[in-house]
Amino acid sequence: METNVLQIKGLVKDFPGVRAVNDVCFDIKRNVVHCLVGENGAGKSTLIKILTGACERTCGSILLNGEEYCARSPKDARDKGISTLFQELNVVDQLTVEENLTLGIEDTTFGFLHKTDKIKKIIDVLKDLEPSINPKERVGRLSVAKKQIIEIAKAVASETEIIIMDEPTAALSESEIERLFTIVKRLREKGVTVIYISHRLDEIFTLGDYVTVMRDGMHVATKPIAEVKDRTELVHLMIGRTVIESYVPKEEQSDEVLLTCKDVCNHKLKNVSFNVKRGEIVGFYGLIGAGKTELARAIYGADSYSGEIVLKGEKLKGTPEKAIKAGIALVPEERRTQGLFTLLTIKHNISAMNLKKISKLGLLNSSQERATAKNYIEQLNIKTDSMDKETSKLSGGNQQKVVFSKCLFANADLLILDEPTRGIDVGAKAEIYAIVRELVANGKTIMFFSSELPEILHSCDRIFLLYEGEIKAELQNGKDIDSQDIIHIVTGGAAS
Amino acid sequence: MNKPIKALNARSATGKISNEAFLNRVMFLVLIVLFALASIFIDKYFSTATALNLIANNWYIVILGIGVTFLLVSGHLDMSVGGIVGMAGVLSAYFTQPANEGFSELGQGLGLPYGVAILLTLLVCLFIGMLNALFIAKMRVASIIVTLGTMSIARGIGQVAALGAQRSAGLPDLFGVIGNVPLFGPIKIAAAIAAILVVIALFIEKKTSFGRRTYLIGANREAARLSGVKVELHIGLLYMLSALLAGITGILLASEMKAGISTRGAGFEFNALVVTLLGGASIDGGVGSVLGMVIGALILGVVSSAAYGLLLRPEWQFILKAVVTFLAIIAQRYLLDRRNK
Amino acid sequence: MSSNCTPASLRAQKAKRIVKEIYVYIILLAVVTVLSLLKGDLFQRGNFLFPPNIANLLRMSAPILMISSAFTLIFITGNIDLSVGSTLSLTTVVHAILVLNGFPFALSLVIVVALGVLLGSVNGFLVMKLRITPVIATLITMNAYQGLARYLVPPGISSITTTDTLKMPEWMGHFSKDQVFMGLSWAFIVAIVLLIALVILQKRTLFGKYLVAVGGNRTAAELSGINVVKVVWGVYILLGAISALAGVARASYLLIGEPYTGVGAETEAIIACLLGGTVFTGGEGSVVKSFVGAIIIVCLTFGLKSVIPEYWQLLAKGAVLVFAVVLNHLLSKEAIAA
Repeated sequence: METNVLQIKGLVKDFPGVRAVNDVCFDIKRNVVHCLVGENGAGKSTLIKILTGACERTCGSILLNGEEYCARSPKDARDKGISTLFQELNVVDQLTVEENLTLGIEDTTFGFLHKTDKIKKIIDVLKDLEPSINPKERVGRLSVAKKQIIEIAKAVASETEIIIMDEPTAALSESEIERLFTIVKRLREKGVTVIYISHRLDEIFTLGDYVTVMRDGMHVATKPIAEVKDRTELVHLMIGRTVIESYVPKEEQSDEVLLTCKDVCNHKLKNVSFNVKRGEIVGFYGLIGAGKTELARAIYGADSYSGEIVLKGEKLKGTPEKAIKAGIALVPEERRTQGLFTLLTIKHNISAMNLKKISKLGLLNSSQERATAKNYIEQLNIKTDSMDKETSKLSGGNQQKVVFSKCLFANADLLILDEPTRGIDVGAKAEIYAIVRELVANGKTIMFFSSELPEILHSCDRIFLLYEGEIKAELQNGKDIDSQDIIHIVTGGAAS
Repeated sequence: MNKPIKALNARSATGKISNEAFLNRVMFLVLIVLFALASIFIDKYFSTATALNLIANNWYIVILGIGVTFLLVSGHLDMSVGGIVGMAGVLSAYFTQPANEGFSELGQGLGLPYGVAILLTLLVCLFIGMLNALFIAKMRVASIIVTLGTMSIARGIGQVAALGAQRSAGLPDLFGVIGNVPLFGPIKIAAAIAAILVVIALFIEKKTSFGRRTYLIGANREAARLSGVKVELHIGLLYMLSALLAGITGILLASEMKAGISTRGAGFEFNALVVTLLGGASIDGGVGSVLGMVIGALILGVVSSAAYGLLLRPEWQFILKAVVTFLAIIAQRYLLDRRNK
Repeated sequence: MSSNCTPASLRAQKAKRIVKEIYVYIILLAVVTVLSLLKGDLFQRGNFLFPPNIANLLRMSAPILMISSAFTLIFITGNIDLSVGSTLSLTTVVHAILVLNGFPFALSLVIVVALGVLLGSVNGFLVMKLRITPVIATLITMNAYQGLARYLVPPGISSITTTDTLKMPEWMGHFSKDQVFMGLSWAFIVAIVLLIALVILQKRTLFGKYLVAVGGNRTAAELSGINVVKVVWGVYILLGAISALAGVARASYLLIGEPYTGVGAETEAIIACLLGGTVFTGGEGSVVKSFVGAIIIVCLTFGLKSVIPEYWQLLAKGAVLVFAVVLNHLLSKEAIAA
């Protein structure tokens, strides 16, 4: 038997305009916990999607037990020996716990369901993980954490050679995580290989045998955990060379407070309080699930909250429409589903947020609309042959520039950017940073939400660190800033 | 920085037309071809009379189609328009019929002046539209379910007001005027009203922020909300607009026959939907146009009159309508997929 | 999550859940009570609760009971079928034609149900293979099937019935009119058997479970290897077959092939399912409760007919649908316990 259960050789995946996975080669040994780390956009998710059959590779090869492996669907992958615990919740709320656990693998006679040892075994796995879950309970009545545990139980019970766990602890509590670790260790004893993906670096040191680091779609390193000195080394591998030098502090700071948040709470946020001064770029950094998007949406009035948000001395009323009137614009997290009208043309997208400005008494002035579109296409360098092109045909970077144009045209003083560079290529990213700089130079104020530390350090004057819906620390960007400290705090460590 | 803009202009001038314009042209071509085929196979089909009849017989579907098009563009259905047509006809008659005793129950109304009767009728129609708005925009119930219900309610009100029959006795002469003013040939003033409404609708659709918001909502409801569009209010207004147009149609049709018939307008909701779909609109929202809908109505008119000319039994209308809609949906999707590859 | 855990809110949630479980029975009870207090000419012996009255009511309503029970399944998958009424019309006409032309009952039944399977699979094909939105696809077939039903009735007459040359056999009404057991007909008994079968299908079989999975979370269903296309298509076929069976029952009750008999049946089925607490966005629904919902509609239709003129029917139907929508909306929001 080979020692390598999985060998990845020269794997490439291209998306339009972006190479998400670039010539990745590494091996995964049998019977280990192999961790996969990297920042957002490093290519981990795409790699996992290829392994599970959710998307096809462009080229390269994957060998499972020395044989060429290619999965057409997650089910196919499971049949071939790789089961996956997906990041999104994939349980059916209307079914019971037991029914969810057996979904797709039921035993039947003439189409009738019947109980077998298999069900008992799966339920035993569940009981091991979380004894308090009643198998007859409807899943819809359970908390998110318990739903997650059901999925874990399902993946564990599938008894495949390899189990991929994509951020399995994101929604779990301390004690649940403990139990998950016990299960993972037991799986390893049984001869299962676990590919473990997590943003929480502590987990990797507790649990992992090997670690692979990815960055910008490329493989950076694969080594035994024992050979990794400490978190610092891992962080360095993840974020590459330090980029702090590229930050240029602003010469003069305004003291005028533009926005104040006081004790903002909702389903995710816990007493968030801070203020933003005019002309600043304020960064909000945290991992997935830290509450960044929730905070951005609350300020914009897209989600409900309690507490007080005051802009220029006036309390915000809590709808996007009123936020826009007050001078706020949001570049949302999900470009395609929240920001862009993909069916419509560039010029119609750009004017969407401020139809008043191109109309009189409800009548649109189309020459003004064209002039506006032309202006922004030029200003933001949107690459297109016509402003009458549907935005669905643009690349990710250009789509994002259209969304930016839309927000700029809304004439906002305060721009909230939620993951503004997600899913766009490096060149477009640099352009977005330049646009942000220019906006501030023109008197705008920016709130920059991101889960990529380099861009936060590159652009922001002040940085708030978020963890589990709370602001854990406030830092002034500059030469003395320590990225290890930051990682330490946003992964749950105490602020120094 | 001036150079790229020049290039941009040059290319957009010679560049491709929009999907909407493309589909409209294709469907117009289909209309011509169908008309030509009918002219070849049917004796005396090719005549001015046929063309005029085409307009005279389809104006009402065009009026209904306007409201349905706007709703479909925003991603919603309205199956209540047919019921509202029936209700509006009966109510306008009931409100106008003399109030004095002596007539049979069916001849006794409220004795209101015709103008007031029309206003009251339209108010009731708006009320049905508001019901739709409340359930669909506010409570977010599936539009098909709600409008099936309001379809029953509207036609039900019509039936109750007409005691399950029709109201025609004792109507003043004025009642029959507006639907019967001849323009030329078989075309009456109702067709002109339809034409005016189409022009207004075209204008609203393309030239006003109201029309633009309709497209924004249909293309991406959440993005529209985040862009500051009052989505619920807007959808509510669209349903009221659709109910109002259906009310106007009902009043005109009742005037034409000088009778309020409670079964009038049965199946109109499907016809209105069919012509809208033929015009390239999609139930997923964001696409569709009033101009396309008018072309669609003419196509349906040609198909119907050709079926009549070929001496097909009237039952064929149902089947033909279904087949034409099906073919249109499939063909349009195929063409757009190929074009946008 | 944690804010919902106070004892009071927990109790409120529990109460809501209980109301959700039983409200359809309460409505039935209320409707029956009100009707039994009314005195109408159409009620035999002037009383709604007179047993032969009830038996007659149930004999009459077999088709809508069958369709409503099966309609629940299509709602559970998150789809809709507006063509059931037209399928009912068409199969009623076809059954009448076959019987009139000397086909024995069993053979005609088999042919008609096979036709139902065909009609249902056309719906499934349009929705799942050609990916036309269910509403539009089934509106198209609704019109096509209705047109066919009318087309099959020769010009000049309004329905398939005894002519100069052909005579409708006297056994035509046996299936729906004969009082087999406590005044109930074969058709009603078939409706009950069908109900039981559908309950077993929903609760005990793989198919029933997959319906919920597809309607509840399509992505999860696909990731678990469920063939969503097959499942939904299957439901359309099942619904077509059951609508055809209902058509046989309807023809047998009317003794003629009436091409308009199914108009509005889809609305009645939707009302029945909504009254029964089916969630139209998918994932949830009970066949039994839809059946009860259908009985409520039948009681209302029959009861109203006897006290107020028939032209009130449509308005009442619309009002009940709106009422059901509101009820459904109020009870559908379920709080999550930690």
